[in-house]
Amino acid sequence: MAIPAEQSTSEQDPGATAEPVASQADRDEELARLEDRWRRAVADLDNLRKRYARELEHERTREQSKVAGAWLPIVDNLERAISHAGDESSAVLDGVRNILREAVQVLEHLGYPRDAETGVPFDPERHEVVGVVDQPDRTTGTILDVIRPGYGEGSRQLRPAAVVVSRRKE
Amino acid sequence: MATAVGIDLGTTNSVIAAWQGGEPVVIPNAEGARTTPSVVAFTENGERLVGQLARRQSIMNPKGTIYSAKRFIGRRFDEISEEAKAVSFDVVEGDGGAARFEVRGKKYAPEEISAQVLRKLADDAGKFLGERVREAVITVPAYFNDAQRNATKDAGRIAGLEVLRIINEPTAAALAYGLDKKGHETVLVFDLGGGTFDVSLLDVGDGVVEVRATAGDSHLGGDDFDRRLVDYLADDFQRDNGIDLRSDPQALQRLFEAAEKAKVELSSMAQTQVNLPFITADAGGPKHLTMTVMRSKFDDLTADLVERCMGPVKQAMSDAKVSANDIDEVLLVGGSTRIPAVQALVRRLTAGKDPNMSVNPDEVVAMGAAVQAGVLKGEVSDVLLLDVTPLSLGVETRGGVMTKIIERNTTIPVRRSEVFTTAEDNQPAVDVVVLQGERELARDNRVLGRFSLQNIRPAPRGEPQVEVIFDIDANGILNVTARDKDTAAEQSITISEQSNLDKSEVEQMVSEAESHRRDDEVLRRAVEARNELDSVAYQVERRLAQLGDSAAPHDRARAEMLVADARQAVKEEAPPDRVQPLTSELQQLLQGLQPTPTGDGNGQPSGNGDGSMSDDDVVDAEFDRG
Repeated sequence: MAIPAEQSTSEQDPGATAEPVASQADRDEELARLEDRWRRAVADLDNLRKRYARELEHERTREQSKVAGAWLPIVDNLERAISHAGDESSAVLDGVRNILREAVQVLEHLGYPRDAETGVPFDPERHEVVGVVDQPDRTTGTILDVIRPGYGEGSRQLRPAAVVVSRRKE
Repeated sequence: MATAVGIDLGTTNSVIAAWQGGEPVVIPNAEGARTTPSVVAFTENGERLVGQLARRQSIMNPKGTIYSAKRFIGRRFDEISEEAKAVSFDVVEGDGGAARFEVRGKKYAPEEISAQVLRKLADDAGKFLGERVREAVITVPAYFNDAQRNATKDAGRIAGLEVLRIINEPTAAALAYGLDKKGHETVLVFDLGGGTFDVSLLDVGDGVVEVRATAGDSHLGGDDFDRRLVDYLADDFQRDNGIDLRSDPQALQRLFEAAEKAKVELSSMAQTQVNLPFITADAGGPKHLTMTVMRSKFDDLTADLVERCMGPVKQAMSDAKVSANDIDEVLLVGGSTRIPAVQALVRRLTAGKDPNMSVNPDEVVAMGAAVQAGVLKGEVSDVLLLDVTPLSLGVETRGGVMTKIIERNTTIPVRRSEVFTTAEDNQPAVDVVVLQGERELARDNRVLGRFSLQNIRPAPRGEPQVEVIFDIDANGILNVTARDKDTAAEQSITISEQSNLDKSEVEQMVSEAESHRRDDEVLRRAVEARNELDSVAYQVERRLAQLGDSAAPHDRARAEMLVADARQAVKEEAPPDRVQPLTSELQQLLQGLQPTPTGDGNGQPSGNGDGSMSDDDVVDAEFDRG
């Protein structure tokens, strides 16, 4: 926190030396003390205002991710349903696939892009390991399979991707 | 001055809080979470991860991911050989028999691991607060011995923190509830966390906290409750489908998440639905798990876990030579104390005492540590004591209701104002009745003073603007001013004894308002409905006068009849069910009574009184005629 009181002694009382009253020093001190307190109070208020503005933004983001996050299990289940159908094709199934695409798009527009990339190296910022497979021919820590896609990135991450990674047996 | 923080360094999770603006505030970490897993990982390529990131890679790196360091800190290897078997990483004997973790051929002391967690908490908090965190109060379980306390202090030093003090977790909880400021009391702290259970009995009072006895179970916590629910769901599914979900890691993961969610929901609801579609598949196609879990079933499944809490509580009570009736306060700490059956057990063991859990049980220890940090830094006592208005202040407005201008508990000094208007045409004066209290009707509140603002220029009702200003200075002296915005004429009153009510009187007034709230609300709504009716009747009348002969005769006749009805209803203080239909009829009529487009356009500056809206968009309330 800045200390705004530091300037307070220099910018006042030009007549202080002209009037050598005994209690003048006391009064100056009291005045300086009060000015210091007042400046602190005003500074506190200003800082509080800034903190409020910041927290409001923070709360908004948090609320948004809470709401978006609550829908993720439904998107997941939609995806599971479709994956159980395999390559089957029917008008209904195609329609449901479109619904999933739409849902993923909505999440992306809200700022939570889907992350289901395989073949990339493990990154704890993006991935959560739920399984390990021994693979002698691959470097350790490559994403082999995404069990559950992640949504969002960086500070706007709803959840990391749940992944299966490779391990080279030594 | 640097902020001092309080840190709850937990076995599974840690929390950091700071003293901010006169109260302890939990600081989220860089990932935005309020708790940070006490986990540190050393990856294959030499990277070090702390917290959530470390936990995410633990399955792939079981030997390099250190958790539960708190179980080993300050201990000798021969004391913790059992614990060492339960973890996935290697615990070895170091110099002088101390416990050490071995990762990729390098030995780490438990305090080094805890230091990493402390460092992350302090760094993230520093970023959040905008200043470096250098000093901290760290909590430890009450049963920690000197070696464990010193090792925890060392962890703080390794993390670059000056450890202002090591305090006991139950003590911190008592501080968070401000119990140290109360009189002498015996306090039971019941702490059921994710994986450990601690009971402490404290002597609290006059700024001193003394631990009289502690007991616990180092391997009992919320995770055990989850496990029971997982087994129940999996067993049931296996009976119906012949498939054991526990043998499928993916399905098991989903089961654990669903079980935790169900457990949380059962803390506030009597039953919950577990819904896991496409949990698995066999030759017959996909399988879904759908089950309703009743709270009674959950209680049944976990009854023995809850019973296991009983022994330590009794033990602590007998060690402290305290009976159930001697306990003055019960504090609940740890997320698992949200489980209703756990709370019921605590009540049973403490002669029916209602336990405290108004402070978030996951955060209460860190909050208390922050209070201690604030006290040690002298910030707590340095806080300027700010006064508040004990009761709301306001004026009486039309229909005998109180319009609040300053709400109770507003910090003073304060200045608030509101604009009012007249209730009658050509009203020459307004009466300002200054009221104090929480009730809706003026007559149920205290009259602090009254005065009248005279010589208002003749004008139709609703047009004069009278600003009423309430100003309370730092000494609690209230000054009420009414100013006619048209003539700038002013009248004011100073009331100095508005705060000389003692505490019990204030409490009584507040509780009276609370108990009458519903009735008062009904009365206020009735008054407001009548005011609205009166206002629309007036507008209709006015419109009729403006239209003169251009109004259709049948409209005029109907309007006059309705206005008369309305006046009658207002006079008789009719209930809303009679008033509201009249209001809407009049509003419809008013819309039908549009003046011809070439008319005089009403001549009001802000368009007040036009259209169907009532004319109160700049005016909050109206004064009754004096």
